[in-house]
Amino acid sequence: MHDSPPGSVIVAACATIVPPDRRAEWQAEWLGELAYAWSVRRRGHDTPVSARVALWLRALGAAPDAVWFRRHHGGDSMLSQDLRYALRTLVRWPGFSAVVILTLALGIGANAAIFSIVNAVLLRPLPYPSPERLVFVFGTPTDGDSAKVGRGSSYPDFADIRTRSRSFTQLAAFSVRQTTVTGKQFEPGIVSGAPVTANLFPMLAVSPLLGRTFSAEEDRPGAPPVVIVSNEFWQQRLGTNPNVIGSSISLNGTPATIVGVMRPRFTFPGATAVWYPAGEPTDPRMRGQHSFTILGRLAPGVTMPTADREVAGIAKQLETEYPSDNAKRGARVQSMTEAIVGNVRPQLFVLLGAVALVLLIVCVNVANLFLARATARTREVAVRTALGAGSRRLARQFLTESFVVTTIGSVLALVVAYWGSKLLVSKAPTSIPRASEIGIDVNVLLFLLGLAVVTALIFGVLPALQMSRGMPIASLREGGRGARGGLARRGLRQALVVSEVALAVVLVVGASLLVKSFWKMERVDPGFVPDRMLVVQIQLPQSRYGGYADGDRVRAFYADVYRRVAARPEVQSVAVAMQHPLAPGWTSSFTIDGREPPPSGQEPESSIRPVMPGYFRAVGAKLLRGREIQESDGVGKPGVVVINEAFARLHFPNEDPIGRRILRGSWWKGMPASYEIVGVVADERFNGPRAPADPATYFSLAQFTFNDNWLLVRTKTDAKAFVSTLRRIVWSMDRDLPLENVQTMNELLGDSVADSRFNTALLSLFAVVALLLAAIGIYGVLAYTVAQRTSEIGIRMALGAQRSSVLRLVVGNGVTLAIIGVAIGAAVALVATRSLEKLVFGVSTTDPGVFAFVALALTAVAATAAAIPALRASRVDPIEALRSE
Amino acid sequence: MRPTRLTLPTAMVLMAVSRNYRYGFDISDATGLPSGTVYPVLRRLEEAGLLRSRWEAVETARSEQRPPRRYYTVTGSGTQAVRDAIDRYPTLDRAFDRPSSPEPRPA
Repeated sequence: MHDSPPGSVIVAACATIVPPDRRAEWQAEWLGELAYAWSVRRRGHDTPVSARVALWLRALGAAPDAVWFRRHHGGDSMLSQDLRYALRTLVRWPGFSAVVILTLALGIGANAAIFSIVNAVLLRPLPYPSPERLVFVFGTPTDGDSAKVGRGSSYPDFADIRTRSRSFTQLAAFSVRQTTVTGKQFEPGIVSGAPVTANLFPMLAVSPLLGRTFSAEEDRPGAPPVVIVSNEFWQQRLGTNPNVIGSSISLNGTPATIVGVMRPRFTFPGATAVWYPAGEPTDPRMRGQHSFTILGRLAPGVTMPTADREVAGIAKQLETEYPSDNAKRGARVQSMTEAIVGNVRPQLFVLLGAVALVLLIVCVNVANLFLARATARTREVAVRTALGAGSRRLARQFLTESFVVTTIGSVLALVVAYWGSKLLVSKAPTSIPRASEIGIDVNVLLFLLGLAVVTALIFGVLPALQMSRGMPIASLREGGRGARGGLARRGLRQALVVSEVALAVVLVVGASLLVKSFWKMERVDPGFVPDRMLVVQIQLPQSRYGGYADGDRVRAFYADVYRRVAARPEVQSVAVAMQHPLAPGWTSSFTIDGREPPPSGQEPESSIRPVMPGYFRAVGAKLLRGREIQESDGVGKPGVVVINEAFARLHFPNEDPIGRRILRGSWWKGMPASYEIVGVVADERFNGPRAPADPATYFSLAQFTFNDNWLLVRTKTDAKAFVSTLRRIVWSMDRDLPLENVQTMNELLGDSVADSRFNTALLSLFAVVALLLAAIGIYGVLAYTVAQRTSEIGIRMALGAQRSSVLRLVVGNGVTLAIIGVAIGAAVALVATRSLEKLVFGVSTTDPGVFAFVALALTAVAATAAAIPALRASRVDPIEALRSE
Repeated sequence: MRPTRLTLPTAMVLMAVSRNYRYGFDISDATGLPSGTVYPVLRRLEEAGLLRSRWEAVETARSEQRPPRRYYTVTGSGTQAVRDAIDRYPTLDRAFDRPSSPEPRPA
């Protein structure tokens, strides 16, 4: 006859509260009104959506109405009775309530905070339409040697893949380049710039806040330069000027017209501040430069494996067509989501697992507290049973109490989650992608709600079962010393403590492994001395300084800045180098003079690291043999190179490399084509402390000149204090050079281990909490046991037991529980710590030292926790104990 | 019959019914009170004997293809309560655009 109007679900749900004898009538009245209102509104002018919303809101009124009904016609209004009783109980035991509510709030809140990261980073889809159809096309080595073939592609390869493939509706390419921006309105700066193909923005369906995106014409060679700036760039450097479209800024010295301002928060790829057209660099010489990344949208009906096969096939064609540039260069397809977040997945799951363990311990502890209190309430329960309360009724009462406690705890947990999530975001390493999207949303709230319900059930059901299961009437007669029931409960509580210790062992083992691995990482010799050292990159624009084939002005500038800085009294030493000691930089191929050259495209590679004289002494890298780069190794002089140990080990395992020559094509005029090896230095860990150094070649900067170099200044006292002087010196030479990002070497070193520090700090925090909770658990059980056995202990002492033996008895009890827990926990940890394999460095996940340490530590903690009740037991006065009998 | 406190919402609901707003949602619209307030007040007034409720004719509802609605009217003792309400909140009387009428609105 009629379909149910909006909101009738709410009415149906509320109807369950209404007493059964009045329910049908009550529901009919509400449904009558809703149906009438719906029929009127459908005839009227309301849009369907607003009409629906209005009715849903109306229907919400059924809830207070139903509650009113319950209160006034309930007859049986046990729910509210239970509630009131539960609240009264809470107030009656304020200390107990506070401890339980706070531990729950922290446990649930911490879980929700960690989940907010997992949610934003892993669960929420990327903010583009049909993100599952977006894929990267990555370069991949067909022989597995990733040192030779990275994920990037060259523009000519991209153009060929675009023409030949059928799997994509669109293929776009982009790159990331440090770009010097200058303009009338702002200080010069180095920002992250992205040359992109014009179709990147339409493919991601992003539209600018102001202006437009690039046209296809603007993406051709020779087109007038244009630029789109990020929202942040617009606000910080262009003063949020609404009339900025059409004005111009300089990119690396070339003026470009601003055609668009991007919408807030869009900074893809990475943290891009300016986008400009790639301009089809299809010059065949560009085929060897794999600086572009290809992003595509799969055509309808095309699966990832199909696309993967197609691009692999095209790469194979290119390999045969361009053997010198494309040898061993395959291609593969990877989903965009996977590529962006895949790396952090194990790390986040470990954290989520750890924090879930903490919550489990919290549950066990709270259950334990409830059980302990249940003992104190034995008489109360017995009285209520005697007065006719059934066991189900009692169980419901206890469940209500646990739900009330959890509800209050969850509200506080929301606060914890909110601040915790903010704190995590501010401390999270930059390697966590999508950090700007982290926050509390509906998913996090639902998670928190679910967690609260599960938690309440876990710690509420056990005591409820215990209490309701035949509370002996005997306990009334026996003056509250329920003998048998007490024993059974003690067994249960001991089991809980054992599981608590076991869980704590798992967490503490995991944290200890990370701490040990972090300690090892900090202790790795970086190959240089980072103390009191300032690092800043200087980029000399080609428009004013020339460069490459015409490097005189560049060399003169660096020689000058070196002199001026070194002349300062507060400076100990200065170095100029194209890469700083923690920058992996890039590699290039070479051959060794006097050896059979490998087939074209398979030459070995090494890291290119030109330096000015004095570099090794200044950074503190150890020269192992031969000599350093000297002033005499200048322009027009014989080419020289210093190699690192890794290079020597790989290419000259049983020979003296000094005096041998490496050959490499001369890239620009005046550059030597062959270089004599004049020295060997110890490895600088430029790939970070976790990875060994690759073979590296240190050329003389004068013979291998680049415009962009790092200035490394070691001061005699505080490095930070020298920053403004350093800026003044450089700006006195050239006011337009950007010098924003002056860092200390220790900051850079800190960044390189920021991931590990974050994981280690969080996991350690969880472990400490777990340890504390376990200690409280052991203390609680033993304190209770001692109280229960006071008279027994009294008898023992009256019969001649020594205080020390009583002490031993109680402490032994606690330690026994701990040892059982440790044994179980260690077995679990052996399996569980496998999930840490990707996060640890230099430590086996089954490190016996760590396991032994944790076992000892937990047993010691257990003994300490047992000591207080044990001392209390040993002070039992036998006369007093027996008299109370 | 229990005595009923004449709070402002109670007075408003009572006067709305006396002004021929007879259905729950209509009363809610006329008074601007949320439905969750109006219904408990109606129930209390009915219990106190100031209002009486009936179901509208099944035929009317069926002809409009919807379930029947429940409507409320003021009882004899309710009429006195309406007068008390007007005495207590004189400005309320002007808040309703329908005149007071003893006749039930044709459904």
